[in-house]
Amino acid sequence: MVVVLKREKMLNLAEDAVSFALRKGADEVEAFVYQGLTTNVIIERGQIARSSRIIDRGLGVRAVINKAVGFSYTNILESKAATEEAVLKALSSAKASKPDKDWHNLPAKKTFASVENTYDNNVVELQSEDLVEVASVMLDAAEKADKRVFPIEGGAGASYLSRVIANSNGIASFDHGTIIECSLATIGHEGGEVTPVCFEFNAERSYNIDPEWIGREAARLAVSALKAKRMETKNTNVIFTQFALQQLLYFTLINAVKADYVQRNQSAFKGKIGEKVASEIVTIYDDGLFNGGLCTWKFDGEGVPQQKTLIIEKGILRNFIYDNYTAKKEGKESTGNASRAGYLTTPNVEATNFHLMAGNKSPKELITEVDEGLLVYYLQGAHSSNPASGEFSVVATPAWKIKNGEIAYATKGAMLAGNIFEVLTNVSALADNERKIGQLVAPWVLVENVKVIGK
Amino acid sequence: MKDVLIKVVDAAAQKFGADYVEIRAQRLFKTMLTLKEDRVEAAKQGIENGAALRVLVNGAWGFASVGTLDIETLTSAVSDACKMAKAASPRLKTPIKLIETKAAEDKVLAKPRKDPSKITVEDKINTTLTMSNTILGYDSRVKSCTIDYLDLTGTSYFINNEGTYIEQDKLYVWSRILATATEAGIFTFSREEIGSTAGYEIFDVETPEIVGERVAKRAVEQLKAKPPKGGTFPVVLGPNVVGVFVHEAFGHLAEADLTLSGSVLLDNIGKKIASDIVTFYDDGTIPGAFGSFKYDDEGVPAQKTILVKDGVVVGLMHNRETAQKFDTKPTGNARAEDFRFQPIIRMRNTFMEPNDYSFEELVEDIKFGYYFKSFRGGQANLNGTFQVGIQEAYEIVNGEVSEPVRNASMSGNTLETLLKVDAAGKDFELWPGRCGKGQTAFVCDGGPHIRAKGVLVGGSA
Repeated sequence: MVVVLKREKMLNLAEDAVSFALRKGADEVEAFVYQGLTTNVIIERGQIARSSRIIDRGLGVRAVINKAVGFSYTNILESKAATEEAVLKALSSAKASKPDKDWHNLPAKKTFASVENTYDNNVVELQSEDLVEVASVMLDAAEKADKRVFPIEGGAGASYLSRVIANSNGIASFDHGTIIECSLATIGHEGGEVTPVCFEFNAERSYNIDPEWIGREAARLAVSALKAKRMETKNTNVIFTQFALQQLLYFTLINAVKADYVQRNQSAFKGKIGEKVASEIVTIYDDGLFNGGLCTWKFDGEGVPQQKTLIIEKGILRNFIYDNYTAKKEGKESTGNASRAGYLTTPNVEATNFHLMAGNKSPKELITEVDEGLLVYYLQGAHSSNPASGEFSVVATPAWKIKNGEIAYATKGAMLAGNIFEVLTNVSALADNERKIGQLVAPWVLVENVKVIGK
Repeated sequence: MKDVLIKVVDAAAQKFGADYVEIRAQRLFKTMLTLKEDRVEAAKQGIENGAALRVLVNGAWGFASVGTLDIETLTSAVSDACKMAKAASPRLKTPIKLIETKAAEDKVLAKPRKDPSKITVEDKINTTLTMSNTILGYDSRVKSCTIDYLDLTGTSYFINNEGTYIEQDKLYVWSRILATATEAGIFTFSREEIGSTAGYEIFDVETPEIVGERVAKRAVEQLKAKPPKGGTFPVVLGPNVVGVFVHEAFGHLAEADLTLSGSVLLDNIGKKIASDIVTFYDDGTIPGAFGSFKYDDEGVPAQKTILVKDGVVVGLMHNRETAQKFDTKPTGNARAEDFRFQPIIRMRNTFMEPNDYSFEELVEDIKFGYYFKSFRGGQANLNGTFQVGIQEAYEIVNGEVSEPVRNASMSGNTLETLLKVDAAGKDFELWPGRCGKGQTAFVCDGGPHIRAKGVLVGGSA
């Protein structure tokens, strides 16, 4: 990949925008310059069918006048007129908006902690031919595994991301990183039966992926999801894999620890710092510095250093996560949790690497401990959970029935219903197989007494 | 713009070896607002320029997206796209072909009564503030509301090397309203979306007061709701739920790319999969509806596509690639979120046709069941497993709608559930929403009230 915008150019764009805004009457201003370069090779219906290259870069400007906040963005960076127009639009937006009594000021400059394994030049240098090779290895492994497997979609992608924040409090910082991803979705089919979609992937910051394993594993899952049976309705033990856990937590627990939700009475955790909210084997950090983490950066979307924050310690709620605004509202310091979706919008409170600490049992041991239960790989419908109460009502697809410490058969259409906060209290064991899925870093988790609706 | 695009298309075909080439260049303008309670978090305005360049070389797709519209960048991007296609093509088993379409030249202008780009940011802030004041003033138990507002205007320029050139205005007005209520440790949550391709006049019908009250009332009423029982029950679904049910349980399976990936519909085309009263359409031509447009992102005119007629699968939603595979006509379902994305098969306005029951007739024979009035999310799986989360539900007891129920969801398999639909109402509503399939598409879903004999309900009681 050819890096389109170099570090100096990005810094200049941001600093020019800040000084222009100050000249034009902003009380405070922040400029964010983002660049994302992605090369993808895409598998469709059993073959490598397309390849793409996406270059996206732009400037976002947040300006404050009389405690009212305005924002504007543009991706026209070649012309000074266009970037200056973006600044002027941020100012006119601020003037059109309403003052916010809780606005204090933009963050000040602080020293960053060091981050490891977030950038790998090997990823930057990957060509589409290399990614075609990666995708082929994965596809071949899946197809060789079993005739009943159909690889429906997937691919391999390499990204280079860089970002600059400058503000009127003296912040002017650059960071960059890489991500390589490789994934395969499969279905199994036999005699008219079609399995739910099965999926496996690697996503890493460094060129450290195993496409053959992904292909084999995606195929194994599809085959083992065949011959699915309905199960009875009852309360039972459930082992959530990281996929299922990520889907469940993203819409419930992660929101409940955001200061924004707490302050606005949308979190069941409000007023519960120091109280027991989970089983005592549950310890969770929000770790913005996690080695090689998918959300590890030197600084967050406001230029505040990312850090490691203890959220739940042996079942006791310890801290919430903050951005600059929510922190200052309480007279606190930001925990470095302001997240930005590129240059297109303003920062929001978001978890970084949400790290549920692993236990010491192998996944096999975890299954062996279960007399009767369910192993749930993915959930369908987690986004329809009640984010305020933590109540969920979802389908486990695919999932496997566990009997006498062994996987007995694949289940069909089993629903799970309950409340995430009860689930946390009922966690009874943790495996040692930690992995990264999106924001989540976690092992398999065994939970007792989950309601399963089978028919 | 046209002159530049013609030159780039010619270069792709003549110099870089493209068999097919298309460029979608866009200039887009957005205004966005986020209100949290009565606080305007930030008023936002943005400008985007960009182009998506897609080519077929040796039967493989190459795609490039850039944020610049000058001829040098576009030429280099199209050359890139051709290289990408050449890199992918050696592993191809079946070369990709496109069905032939008639070349079109057209200029499509948006004709809003109230053009969102002409309305001041102050006015837009006032509209959302009125909504937020209505919500927070409804009841002291309403604790928070979050309102997002977006309007998008601009122009999309589509050209290909088959003689099609279309300039098409884009116009979307959208808002999402969330409210929560709390009482005695119970948290409830309520959401609504507004969406239109007509113009800002949507707020004359869906006024801030009407929408605000709808959202707040639901959040408060849910406070006294009880959890549903888990199990199989007869259900009556409101138009809002029917829409998402049609979208999730059937629509995705009938997107021809997913059908070909092995969805349960593949072996059921031309077969009866639903009861006689079930007729489904996906229609891109409804004026002002959130999923409507004149041409799709392959330059194919949108149309009204029948998917199921009297219970029989009669059609799928196609792009030019799948239409070629099925040897049929493209349906104008190829859509891309913006120039950063490749067009894929997406729904437009998807709905079930009404029949002749009154609401009372649908409910009267049910001894115990559920009335699912409004949804909160849904998801489909290729094997036909669907899930629809419900934000507003009631018990039906002895033929009458009774107490409210919260956080229910329904699930099942498409091929089993559609056969259980045994009655449909004479009413009809279409609701706007957004659908995710790796990228976002604006859509509508809808239908009449319907009744289904036995549906799996996920509940914790």
